[in-house]
Amino acid sequence: MSVETVESGTGPTPKRGVSILFGLTLLGLLVVLWLLLGLATSAFWTPNNISNLLRQGAMTAILAVGQTFVIITAGIDLSVGAVVGFTSVIVAWLLAAGVPLWLALVATLLIGVLIGAFHAFGIVRMGLPPFIITLATLTSLRGIGLLITNGSTISITNEAFTNFSRADFLGVPSLFWMVIVVAVPAYVFLHLSRFGRYLFAVGSNSEAARLSGVNVNRTIYLAYILSSTCAAFVGLLLASRIGIGNATQAEGWELQAIASSVIGGTSLFGAVGSVHGPLLGAFILATINNGANLLNVNSFWQRIITGVLIIVIVYFDQLRRRGSR
Amino acid sequence: MTGLQEVSQRHEDELEAAVAKGKPILELRGLQKNYGAVQALKPATITFLSGEIHAIVGENGAGKSTLIKLLTGVIPRTAGEVFWQGEPVQLANPTEAITRGINAVHQEVVLCPHLSVAANMFLGDEMNGNGLMRKRAMTEAAQGVLDDLGFNLPADATLGSLTIGQQQLVATARAAMRGTRFLIFDEPTAYLTRQESAQLFRLIRRLQGDGVTIVYISHRLEEVFELADRVSVLRDGTHVGTRDISETNEAELIALMINRTIEQIYHKEQFALGETVIEARGLSGPGFSDISLSVRAGEIVGLYGLIGAGRSEFALGLYGRHPLSAGEVYWQGRKVAIDNERKAMELGIALAPESRRDQGLCLNLPIGLNINLPVFRRLTRGLTINRGEEAANADRQIRDLQIKTPSRRVLASAMSGGNQQKIVIGKWVSHGAKLFIFDEPTVGVDVGTKAEIYRLFARLLEKGAGIILISSYLPEVYELADRLHVFRQGRLVASHDYRAASHEDVLAQAINA
Repeated sequence: MSVETVESGTGPTPKRGVSILFGLTLLGLLVVLWLLLGLATSAFWTPNNISNLLRQGAMTAILAVGQTFVIITAGIDLSVGAVVGFTSVIVAWLLAAGVPLWLALVATLLIGVLIGAFHAFGIVRMGLPPFIITLATLTSLRGIGLLITNGSTISITNEAFTNFSRADFLGVPSLFWMVIVVAVPAYVFLHLSRFGRYLFAVGSNSEAARLSGVNVNRTIYLAYILSSTCAAFVGLLLASRIGIGNATQAEGWELQAIASSVIGGTSLFGAVGSVHGPLLGAFILATINNGANLLNVNSFWQRIITGVLIIVIVYFDQLRRRGSR
Repeated sequence: MTGLQEVSQRHEDELEAAVAKGKPILELRGLQKNYGAVQALKPATITFLSGEIHAIVGENGAGKSTLIKLLTGVIPRTAGEVFWQGEPVQLANPTEAITRGINAVHQEVVLCPHLSVAANMFLGDEMNGNGLMRKRAMTEAAQGVLDDLGFNLPADATLGSLTIGQQQLVATARAAMRGTRFLIFDEPTAYLTRQESAQLFRLIRRLQGDGVTIVYISHRLEEVFELADRVSVLRDGTHVGTRDISETNEAELIALMINRTIEQIYHKEQFALGETVIEARGLSGPGFSDISLSVRAGEIVGLYGLIGAGRSEFALGLYGRHPLSAGEVYWQGRKVAIDNERKAMELGIALAPESRRDQGLCLNLPIGLNINLPVFRRLTRGLTINRGEEAANADRQIRDLQIKTPSRRVLASAMSGGNQQKIVIGKWVSHGAKLFIFDEPTVGVDVGTKAEIYRLFARLLEKGAGIILISSYLPEVYELADRLHVFRQGRLVASHDYRAASHEDVLAQAINA
């Protein structure tokens, strides 16, 4: 038999305890980074910079949470960056056409839902690998967005919409509040509801989940729709922040989202992940970028540092998992 | 034509001179393995004689796996000594074990399913010429070995296209051609059909004839008596004794293993039969056709046949996993259409599927989640799961089924085969089903756990449920089923009442002899 016997007492440490420990380690890393940057440059602990940092991290964080749902099912969503760019165009276009703000927002989010449903359709009905179907929409959506805008940008004149991203609430940037607006229901969904359990089960062994009465197809629809809807939401936030709709925006954000998720302890093999992990991962990445800017580190170095960090953190996470076997 | 002898000759020179038959080839002196404070293997002193077939029996968790891992260099020992051909050896890593001629064939085949049979047989040991692989030569050599061994297998087929049993034969042939002096079989027949088992036994005897020492680990005592010269028994990590096979019997071995008699294993209670729970009329689907049978409350209906005879397919069809092409299903007298698994569950059907690893468990998730997976709907209050009930339900199943784990949070992959099977069963016991389908519930499960599972059957029947028991192990269905149906090539070919036909007749019907 290829499995260890637990009668021999080699049982791993309970999983939840480990996951909390890992979360605390990441939080510790984030705090250490903040303290070090505070010592290195006086520009770091200024209200302006902290607001800036929170805004920078917010959008990646939301994308990373959506991405995590998909990765837990052992899938991947490469399209999220393209969805962000595409939906920024859609909302700008709708507003320019005189559609009321509320309707434009709802319609844009619905587009996100449809894109996610299309991904799941491709995976469930057409049998395409997640990598392929989302890669296809990545390039197609950018193309459609460019067709709509004729390759240029659509400016947004709706002040209520553009002011939102600059506003603060209780001294905290509204963009960061949006992270909380997404994260709290996401936490309830993933960790407290049965659908969260189903995501893990499908990612671990979809046949076992199916035979246990889990509607596997519906679970996959759910994961991809949530990811795309999070991306559409970020598209709205981005459009609000930069005041334009542009199909080429958010280039490479899918990789940022995946990196945040993986740094946050999500396993690309599925069935391992949390909501707080990717959030911390996103803000660690944002802090590194922010700190590098403040310290005038060449932006090329930022990319290298990010890459090294991914390797180091995931490597230690793997060691910990193996050690607990 | 190249035979096994010629191919394995490539390695003969690398190995040390063989020990004379009947002299010690491998000696364990006080070999011991601790994981932390827990003793997985208490100091064991066992001598393996050159050219013998030495069986090792014991319940799950008795230390068999630990012993194999020590001998094949997978894990380091805590204390004790190992003497190979009289010399003390470290066996620090798998390579050292293999170079000395110690090999193992595992229960679950660890080969590459996408490569050809020949490529797998030569994997890591390819024949090269001018820096290129000699593919045709290898295929021919592999075919020669397979033919020589009497395996009717094509060497150029993709490994993954073979049955698990055939893959096991390939794995064995692979080990045999590496000039092995000492070969360990870990439950090799768990997934084999009778013919495949017979082929394997022939191969084992032949290897023995060539002077190879065999260690044979199995839960099936009749195999031990058929094959082995000597047998060692492990219990709770302790080596409790070694016997010559001619001087012992099944009863003594079982007593050594578990302190329980053989009558207590096949625990059967008769219950008054109630209403018909389910009836299939002329059911056809992928892999089975025109099956009619019914199950009443309090009844165990056994489905016997070779692997691939359509029993599991029938069960999956009944459960809504695969679409039916013809026939009708009546549930408690009412005609029903079971289109999906959810519907089957809602009616009250529970299925513990054939393969724990592929169908039964989410291995890298906690035991608790696995147990609760079918009942999360019931544990949900409003939007969220009631954490208290979730924990209570998991803990209750762990306790009732005596799943040996420190916590419900331990991953299912960390459990032994028997405990994993209990998790699969535990998933369904709390579901409150009226019909339980158990597909090969005791494969790779030790005698003690088997007895517990059979006792559980009686408890379910007592509560008024019906059971469909699928097994390739004739004594099991024979001793337990109130009605026994024999499957062959997707059809139901014979039916018998409890113990109404002889073993031989049932077997003949299954293999059409």
